Amino acid sequence: MNRYDCFELLAPLIKDQLVVGSLSGQRVEWGHLCPYEGNLLVASMGAALGIGIGLALVLPHRKVIVLESDGSLLLSLYNLPTLGNLNPSNLAVFVFDNEVYSGTRISEPTATAGNTDLAAVARGCGIPQATVVRDLDFFRSEARKALEENLLHFIVCKVDKTTGHRQIQRSTEDLWEHKYRFVRYLERTEGKQIFLGRG
Amino acid sequence: MEPELAQRIVDGLRDAGIGFVSYLPETRLSQILPLMREDPSLMVVPVANESEGVSIAAGASLGGRPAAVYMEGSGVYVSSYNLLVVGKRLGVPMLLVVAYYGSTMDNRNSFLYAYPGIHLVPLLDSLGIQYEVLEDANQLEQKIKSAVRMMHAIKQPVALLFTGEYTV
Repeated sequence: MNRYDCFELLAPLIKDQLVVGSLSGQRVEWGHLCPYEGNLLVASMGAALGIGIGLALVLPHRKVIVLESDGSLLLSLYNLPTLGNLNPSNLAVFVFDNEVYSGTRISEPTATAGNTDLAAVARGCGIPQATVVRDLDFFRSEARKALEENLLHFIVCKVDKTTGHRQIQRSTEDLWEHKYRFVRYLERTEGKQIFLGRG
Repeated sequence: MEPELAQRIVDGLRDAGIGFVSYLPETRLSQILPLMREDPSLMVVPVANESEGVSIAAGASLGGRPAAVYMEGSGVYVSSYNLLVVGKRLGVPMLLVVAYYGSTMDNRNSFLYAYPGIHLVPLLDSLGIQYEVLEDANQLEQKIKSAVRMMHAIKQPVALLFTGEYTV
């Protein structure tokens, strides 16, 4: 199973959900496959899940999807006890675990290439429904459930090491432009002002 | 800190429009915690790490609920990467309510706190984060309002550093 194939299955399911992504090839691939106003692809490791939790808490009527990676989640494991205690029912977390830190020139193993099982860590933090997906058919059914059910989902997707994202043209949109696009989309769909000029 | 002063901080946050607070508990301003939890206009979320406090507050802020992170001065060190790449680089308004331990005005200062206290303001300067040091209760509400107004204006974190009278 590879990440791009998972994204090809996930993208058609996106309607008005909010999608928070982290860094790495997944940002490039998701942005390419699903160039959607409800994306907030923050381009840093260790922040996407926290941002997704915050969005889910203040917008309980919206489904929030977080696209994480093994490297990013390992950098922010402190999110898991908080997630287990808050248990936001409108949050679906996908961790695309390719067991490597994959940069433009490196593929160095992460802890999940060794003995670390992120789903087991999540279960230990109070997310008993955390599961591992290893094939596309199971991914398809788990993704549908995660988007349809009003229940916290935490899905570790074991994916192959791939470098296809290196061939995809990068967006020229900078992060402030990206953020404004997301916030204006939220303002329009929520019918409220988010950015206040004067406080 | 006098109980009345703790209540004024919480009232000031609410009246300035803050609706969400993530926090990692600490000692000096801790009287505000039960008051915040009792205030129905505030969503109060405990976290395990101040970096997480920053990212969760960022999500709340971008979701339309003006947010604060309450932390000890040590939390600014712990969360500095997220303050830079989420708070500054992405540009997300949030108020940092910081117990300024180890300052020269810290009534509980000791060898444990002085070094992190000495480097806190240079750290905020290096991050380019606007801050105000509060040593007494004079104009407390106005200072909170001004900081919140600034965070909305620049869409970045702004810090209030509480020391002196607040650390008794």
